[in-house]
Amino acid sequence: MGSVVLVLRLALADARRHRTQAAMLLLAVTVATATMAIGLSLHGVSDALYAQTRAATAGPDVVVLSGESGPEVSAALASLTDRADVVAHHGPYRIVYADLTTRDSVSSPVVVHGFAETPNAVNRPLVTAGRWVRPGGTVLERGFAVALGVDVGDRVTIAGRSYPVVGIAVTAATSIYPWGAQIGPYGGPSDYTGLAWMTRSDARALAASRRLPVTTAIDLRLRDPAAAETFRHTVADDHPVRVVRSTFRSWQFTAHHDKVILRNAQPIMVIGGWLLGFLAVSGVATLAAGRVAEQTRRAGLLKAVGAGPGLIAAVLLTEYLGAALAGDALGLTIARLAMPAVAAPTASRIGDAEPTVTAVIAATVLAVAVAVLSTLGPTLRAMRTATVPALAASAHQPRRRPRLNALSALLPTPLLLGLRLTARRPGRAVLQACSTATTVVAITALLAVHAQRERGYGLDGSTALPNLRGLHDRRLMIAITVLLIALAIVNILTFTWTTAMEARATMAIVRTLGATPGQVAAGLSAAQLLPSLPGAVLGVPLGFLMYLSFRVGNTIPPRLSWMAGVALATLVVTAALTVLPARLAARRSVAATLSAETA
Amino acid sequence: MNRSGAVLRARGLVKHYGRGQSLVRAVDEVDLEVPEGQTLAVMGPSGCGKSTLLHLLGGLERPTAGEVWVAGRRIDTLGERALARMRRRSVGFVFQAFHLVEELSAAENVELPALLAGHSPREARRRAGLLLERVGLAGRARHLPSRLSGGQRQRVAIARALVNDPLVVLADEPTGNLDTAATLDVLRIFEDLRAAGQTLVIVTHDERVAATADRLVSMRDGMFVDDTRLAAAQPRGLGGLGGLLGLEG
Repeated sequence: MGSVVLVLRLALADARRHRTQAAMLLLAVTVATATMAIGLSLHGVSDALYAQTRAATAGPDVVVLSGESGPEVSAALASLTDRADVVAHHGPYRIVYADLTTRDSVSSPVVVHGFAETPNAVNRPLVTAGRWVRPGGTVLERGFAVALGVDVGDRVTIAGRSYPVVGIAVTAATSIYPWGAQIGPYGGPSDYTGLAWMTRSDARALAASRRLPVTTAIDLRLRDPAAAETFRHTVADDHPVRVVRSTFRSWQFTAHHDKVILRNAQPIMVIGGWLLGFLAVSGVATLAAGRVAEQTRRAGLLKAVGAGPGLIAAVLLTEYLGAALAGDALGLTIARLAMPAVAAPTASRIGDAEPTVTAVIAATVLAVAVAVLSTLGPTLRAMRTATVPALAASAHQPRRRPRLNALSALLPTPLLLGLRLTARRPGRAVLQACSTATTVVAITALLAVHAQRERGYGLDGSTALPNLRGLHDRRLMIAITVLLIALAIVNILTFTWTTAMEARATMAIVRTLGATPGQVAAGLSAAQLLPSLPGAVLGVPLGFLMYLSFRVGNTIPPRLSWMAGVALATLVVTAALTVLPARLAARRSVAATLSAETA
Repeated sequence: MNRSGAVLRARGLVKHYGRGQSLVRAVDEVDLEVPEGQTLAVMGPSGCGKSTLLHLLGGLERPTAGEVWVAGRRIDTLGERALARMRRRSVGFVFQAFHLVEELSAAENVELPALLAGHSPREARRRAGLLLERVGLAGRARHLPSRLSGGQRQRVAIARALVNDPLVVLADEPTGNLDTAATLDVLRIFEDLRAAGQTLVIVTHDERVAATADRLVSMRDGMFVDDTRLAAAQPRGLGGLGGLLGLEG
């Protein structure tokens, strides 16, 4: 117990001394774990939202739809209710295919379900605003209403007839908006379509007024809901339903179809989470490397007073682990809050969305990995160093690179210094290059997404009603890219400052030999820019490749000038960000630095 | 050089650290002139302000008050860039802790100030080669500092200080970290420099080092308490060290 208290006290004291570093670790881990938890939870959350909506709306186990209408079709569908495995039903009911126009002239295809004014035993849409259908009024599916910007009390025109919107409702019988039509007119393919309800007589009148296409459907509840997927195979080939060319939609199919809108969202979030995790490891590892001499001296001090390897490892790791786990908890909280918006881009489902257990475990593993991966090296080094050398530990001595030194001698002073500083820490240069590449990959992929033409959800693909899936993907890409850029900025500042601190003695010596503060600052900036250059150049094709790996169908490449601009702008921003820490470091007193190094 | 022929001149030089009760007068109203070719030793107890004086003379620190002139040019009012240029051309530093760049070889360390001064890599290499030969380290040119003894490191540092043929070399406890044999090696080099007419200011605890000087200044509590001219140990040649080492032309 005493050891635990000691470890905690030492870790807390160290965290207090390095508040900025602890805050950076917290920020990096929070961002990475939140993103990853959301990404990994998306499918599970989509299933959960469907299940909650299904429970609240007495969702059917199977919906059987026929592309035709008429008494024979209704009779054929109704004959399914005689089966022993069907315990309840709703319908048959009429589905009318029409166009809907709002007062703002936004038009969309719509399917109108003709329902009773009283609640059904199966498929009982949950009214979330207003009231259920009444003669002369229509109820809109919530996802559709939100996309249209229509509320209760507004009027909409369906197939040329004006109707007041008397209510907004959700149902689990159909997929989320814009897949309200499970089949198209006459059983053909369906377009992006919204869903509305009317009374049976209103639906019949609507269909008759313009000779609109009509299909028929029946909702079934089975004795064994789990058997819904195989129900259609149990219907004999000579059953009347087969004669009227029917389509079977199980609840499992509908739940799965809900995820179509998230098809790109999950990889965007998961890959984004990994990329953010990588940037977090890069930044934190650089911070840890910058403290390696201090940590080694600390380990030596602990050894000198009798601490064993286990205690030393615990002291050195606890600070980072504690910050990482705090970041994990914060990230998971943010994920929980952001989940409904990310997992349900339409308003077609109800219920609470929480990160799944798998996602919580994965995010926590990521947080621990960030802490351990970035501190294991320095910790092992500190533990392996004998007590006396540890007490006098100085920063790791870089390797000599004669060819690079000879090459740099040909360059102007800032580049000479920059190249030699880069060569001092080749591992960090690789991290810097990867960090830049990661950012450029995200920006290029975002540009590629924006370059595509998308079919809107309005009439004939009009973008008056935006493509929610594309919009959702773009929003997520923007959010991930902004987070990546934010972490990359933190990393650039960290890399520059750590490089400056590690090289402060060398830079002070160079100043005594006649280098100006400007040359030293430019050298420190150049040390960050040199590895960023290949990172930026590589990031452009990698970003486009990443985009292509998710895209299906024809792809419009973004303009070459845009991609070149991204690489150039990244380098310019990198240079600008290095200026402040580099100038601050270059202005440190030479005499004070040399005296400190001698002491 | 100014009209008096002084390479280095300080008037009313003051350097304070801290404030109020924690005020430290590291250098307190010091006047100094170092003529061309003179070897000046500055002695005194630890903390008396010797190193601070050296830093002020070399433009590494700015005085709280007073003036510093190098080769007839006032430097305490110069900006950092101008100070850096002045150091490149006019001043060479030798430190007690050597302060070599650890990842550069002996030759690369010596070349560095020449490259900073704008010499071509070939010229920088030529100068480094000559100076390393002069300090007896031609065979160690490719060695990293970590593979050299303390004395050898200090000789590399001296070679580095001389590579741009400076008007004055400022040495801060150059033998402070060395054993007797290494100290003698360094003393021999300083003797050669003195004989060649190189202006030298050496801050030291070591009386053997001070004995090689033309003039000895004693410091206490930031002030000069004694200024003694010593008998010249050996006749000196004419011209700068660059001439001696064949760096000119």
